Amino acid sequence: MQNQPAAYCPNRPEPVTGAAAAVRAREPAYIMAVTRNGHMSEHVMEYAASVAQRLGYAILAVHVDTLPLFNRGRRSRLFAVAMQESAAQLAVKAQYREVTVEHLAEFGKIGDVVGRLCRSKKRIEFVVIDKGIRLEEAARSAPIPVFPVNTAQQGIFSKTLFHTTTTKGVFAMSTSSKKQYVQRCVLFGALTAALYAAVFAYQNLVMTYFSKGGVYAVLPVATVFAVSYFHGNFTSSFWSALGIEASRKSGAQPVAPAKQVTGTVKAPRPDTRPRLRLNA
Amino acid sequence: MHGPIGEVIQFIDLNAYTIAFLFLVGFIGGLVSGFIGSGGAFVLTPGMMSLGVPGTVAVASNMCHKFPKALVGAIKRYKYGQVDIKLGLIMGVFAEIGVQAGIIVQKRILDTWGQAGSNLYVSLIFVLVLVTVGSFVMRDAMRMKRSRTEVDSGPNIAKRLQQIELWPMIEVKAANLRISVWFLIPVALATGMLAATIAVGGFIGVPGLMYIVGVTSIVASATELVVAFVMGLGGTLVWAYYGMVDIRLVLIILAGSLFGVQLGAIGTTYVKEYMVKYVMAMIMLIVAVSRFLALPRYLNELHLIAIDDFLVGIMNKMSFGIMCLALLIGASIILTSLFKARRLERAATGLA
Repeated sequence: MQNQPAAYCPNRPEPVTGAAAAVRAREPAYIMAVTRNGHMSEHVMEYAASVAQRLGYAILAVHVDTLPLFNRGRRSRLFAVAMQESAAQLAVKAQYREVTVEHLAEFGKIGDVVGRLCRSKKRIEFVVIDKGIRLEEAARSAPIPVFPVNTAQQGIFSKTLFHTTTTKGVFAMSTSSKKQYVQRCVLFGALTAALYAAVFAYQNLVMTYFSKGGVYAVLPVATVFAVSYFHGNFTSSFWSALGIEASRKSGAQPVAPAKQVTGTVKAPRPDTRPRLRLNA
Repeated sequence: MHGPIGEVIQFIDLNAYTIAFLFLVGFIGGLVSGFIGSGGAFVLTPGMMSLGVPGTVAVASNMCHKFPKALVGAIKRYKYGQVDIKLGLIMGVFAEIGVQAGIIVQKRILDTWGQAGSNLYVSLIFVLVLVTVGSFVMRDAMRMKRSRTEVDSGPNIAKRLQQIELWPMIEVKAANLRISVWFLIPVALATGMLAATIAVGGFIGVPGLMYIVGVTSIVASATELVVAFVMGLGGTLVWAYYGMVDIRLVLIILAGSLFGVQLGAIGTTYVKEYMVKYVMAMIMLIVAVSRFLALPRYLNELHLIAIDDFLVGIMNKMSFGIMCLALLIGASIILTSLFKARRLERAATGLA
């Protein structure tokens, strides 16, 4: 990595001479960014793009579908849609930094895919992995360094800040289709109706016991807890089934000022070291 | 005390009008609670009483519907990352103490000045608190709207208090700040006392969280739901112990209010910061007017003034009407801004 002459950077038009250099110049060095999620995490994209810009590398973005046959291929279809979206996002980031990006869709185990790509594709310098991939799994078959890109910004904000800017497909492929909401709606609606029917059909009996007081105080409290679960789920999926859901932009308006991203890999610093340039 | 007294309580018969009324008020109240963290309760108690429900049963049933509603709302808003559970629970525990203190004060007043005196005290507190806090919140909302800044820089008092390192400090993750528990306690106690007096602690709790603790209005209203849950559960257990809860009324109100609370919570993800403050202040000020109109009746009963009974009757009706109006206006602002923002967002994504 340290020995990369500046000539490999596509953004620096220094003259390169020599046959070997010419061959190498056609074949840029890559940073391989691997994810097993439909959408690559924002911070992985950011990191890969900024490091690639600084080092003058290209990015090889690999989406690995680890469960291609899951749910009779439904997951795969969603995965493909999500991947397209993710690729478009990365392309925007890369274009802004004038970095070349190649996208690959792969199937199978992470370790196998990483190992295969490292051997078949020349000049991958290192691998960055997204969350959801175990470091050991990726490093098992990789002949080059593998880095996890973590962020301090996980926990309760991880959902709202990182995975809501997308419009199709979802993080980790949890399906959010209308059909599922309708199913939940029917299920919890039936349960709620049963509960209400039971209470109102035996009104007199219920009122006798529920208003007895003392230990019987548990009865009304338990009933309303049951109602809040059944009816709460019913109403939630009811609005979702009607298509009334939380704003997708809410991720873009954080409820608290965003903390600086820190973690295993720190944000890149501008490289101010002197460089050696050879014009042979 | 005297043990369960359920046998002497008359529970009303339900008819289509009663059910429709409770369901509707439940829905609108839920919508407002989901959005500003509390509300709806102030219409439900007098509303139920006007249907012939005895006062204590109305209060007990109201309390019993409040905590599941708050629970559902809090869970929904937790999913949006707006709730700080630790803050809510600490506030809830101290608010519960505040409720007990509020009940003692109420009892003293009841013993000294009788029912009319107690009613007058409640209405006076209503008017005083709602006018002062409501106008303050309204001014702030207007200022935010004019300056068009989406993220408030935080009020000055809160910033100063946050700098005081007094053990034990707690970290509020949802709002990204650290503050000493000692500053939360007065806010929580006041919330509880107000809840015991006028049934809506949130009118102190939410502004307290915004201006003294320094969280944003979205986080404040979401965290208030946790406080309301803790207070409501405590209160319900006491009322249920005396057998005062009419589970049928509770279930009907809940049927409507859970629809509302979900929609209200969804609404918070679309609107700008100042909108929560605006809706809250609007409701507080209108309710203050409504309670102001109720004052002459109690003053009359205490023989402090003498107004014609006919006029007092009209004022009372107006008072209740204006209270319903407050809730309706709040609900319509929420729904309008929700659907407007939704349409705009759809148009934006359609173009993109």
